[in-house]
Amino acid sequence: MRGWDIAFGHPVTQGLVAATIGILLLAAAVIGALTVTGRASPALRRELWLRLASWAVLLPLIMAPILLGREWVIAAVTLLGLACLREYDRATGLFREHWLVAVVVLGILAVNFAALDHWYGFFVALWPLTVTVIAVASIPLDRPAGYIQRTALAIFAYMLFGAGLAHLGYMANDPNYRPLLLLLVLAVGLNDVAAFTSGKLIGGRKLLPATSPNKTLSGALGALVCTTLLVAYVAGLIFEGTPMDSTWKLLALGALVSIGGQAGDLMLSSIKRDIGIKDMGVLLPGHGGILDRFNSLLLVAPATFHLIQFYIGWGLDAPTRILTGGP
Amino acid sequence: MSDWKIKPARDLGLPTAERLRSHGREAGLVGGLLQGGWRRLVRLYMAVMHRFAVTGREHLPPPPFVIVANHASHLDALAVGAALRGPAARRAHALAAGDTFFTSTPMAAFAAYAINALPVWRRRTRPKDLATLRARLEEDGLVFILFPEGTRSRDGAMAAFQPGLGAFVAGSPVPVVPCWLEGAHAAWPPQRRWPRPGRLHLHIGPPLSFAETPQDRAGWTQVAAQCEAAVRALEPRR
Repeated sequence: MRGWDIAFGHPVTQGLVAATIGILLLAAAVIGALTVTGRASPALRRELWLRLASWAVLLPLIMAPILLGREWVIAAVTLLGLACLREYDRATGLFREHWLVAVVVLGILAVNFAALDHWYGFFVALWPLTVTVIAVASIPLDRPAGYIQRTALAIFAYMLFGAGLAHLGYMANDPNYRPLLLLLVLAVGLNDVAAFTSGKLIGGRKLLPATSPNKTLSGALGALVCTTLLVAYVAGLIFEGTPMDSTWKLLALGALVSIGGQAGDLMLSSIKRDIGIKDMGVLLPGHGGILDRFNSLLLVAPATFHLIQFYIGWGLDAPTRILTGGP
Repeated sequence: MSDWKIKPARDLGLPTAERLRSHGREAGLVGGLLQGGWRRLVRLYMAVMHRFAVTGREHLPPPPFVIVANHASHLDALAVGAALRGPAARRAHALAAGDTFFTSTPMAAFAAYAINALPVWRRRTRPKDLATLRARLEEDGLVFILFPEGTRSRDGAMAAFQPGLGAFVAGSPVPVVPCWLEGAHAAWPPQRRWPRPGRLHLHIGPPLSFAETPQDRAGWTQVAAQCEAAVRALEPRR
């Protein structure tokens, strides 16, 4: 049972997996109670069941690669990046620029390869390198009209779904990545739920009505308090005895997850409002597209990575340049 | 400085099966690569199996335009597509009978991803669909490959053109290029299950313009009659 011990070796991993199963069951019980007592409208109940069912499929898909190991995480992050790119490029019209999309795809593959190789130098170098290639890729078409816009759309795509998202995969180079990565993906999900719930319970002023009409200030603050405290508490168990083990640093990490998650959500809302569409896709019933679900991770991944990088570093004892074998 | 607008895919938000049949279907990187690979295969097949020859290629205008030809076999759309090069080849859509090519999802996926066909539903094409196709033809600079007889000829002789063609081009600056495909009936008559080797020759004629033709029933009939005459005139004398 060595593999099992590696996957569930850390007590926080066990706790988070158990808590996830518990929360899903509890949510099912609550929605079940609403259904039996007829307290919620049929439309709301349907919506809630749909969301829960989507979560019940999504959470195992998200958590399994994290438990399985480094290569699995990086493969999953690569696929996620490509799926997000596809939704984004069809929504923005970037998909008509085949050369630029091809460069962004290559960039996503390269940056995830750098994570797989555990080659930090290449991993960070790919940001300026890919942007350089994007900047020149459409020049030979001799079609200057729209150059700035299509280049900007492609750079934005690479930043979000390549350079940014790949930080999640790079984290897996640390032998003890499992509890922290689980905490991050669960906390951004919880952050959304906390914002939704406290917004519904407290109500009040709208946060940014033109960007996202359903979000309230109370929801944003409620999520900030809940997520910050929860992340700080669980991260305290993970980082015990390390340079991150200070109340302020842990609270900063928690706040970063909550603010980054909400900012990612609002960023996608801004993109959708600007384009004039409601959802990015139709893949996940009750959620919309892949991006509608994973928007919160896009900004959290690089932000939390570099906070922890600053104080501790990632995978400093793990072998580097596993595949390319350089210095 | 040019005005620049975010332009989402015309088929954004459609479930896969509907997307395949959508008149707004637009290919991305993967679709483009698949179609490019398929075009090269078809050109190779045409050259090897049918010693495919084209005359009058200089008549082809830059896209958008509509190609009309006689219809004797399932090879016709492939042959006409194989005669195109560059942007015209990439943007060419064969308008294919929905009830033959778009009923099952695997067949629709093949028609969409390989042949880049758009469905027309015989006798049930709605005015809205025609308007979408007409708008896309001009706005997106497409090439439509059309067989206005409506069905394959059973004996190789060309039938009268249906007036529906007029909906796309009457009163529009988009030109119509008449073509005659020679040898298709011999290579793959409707009675045979598979094609046999045999020479195919595409004769391309000078484009016709219907910019001044009224967009009504009489105009449509006029378009069909003129196109039919132009295609017949390209048939080589025996």
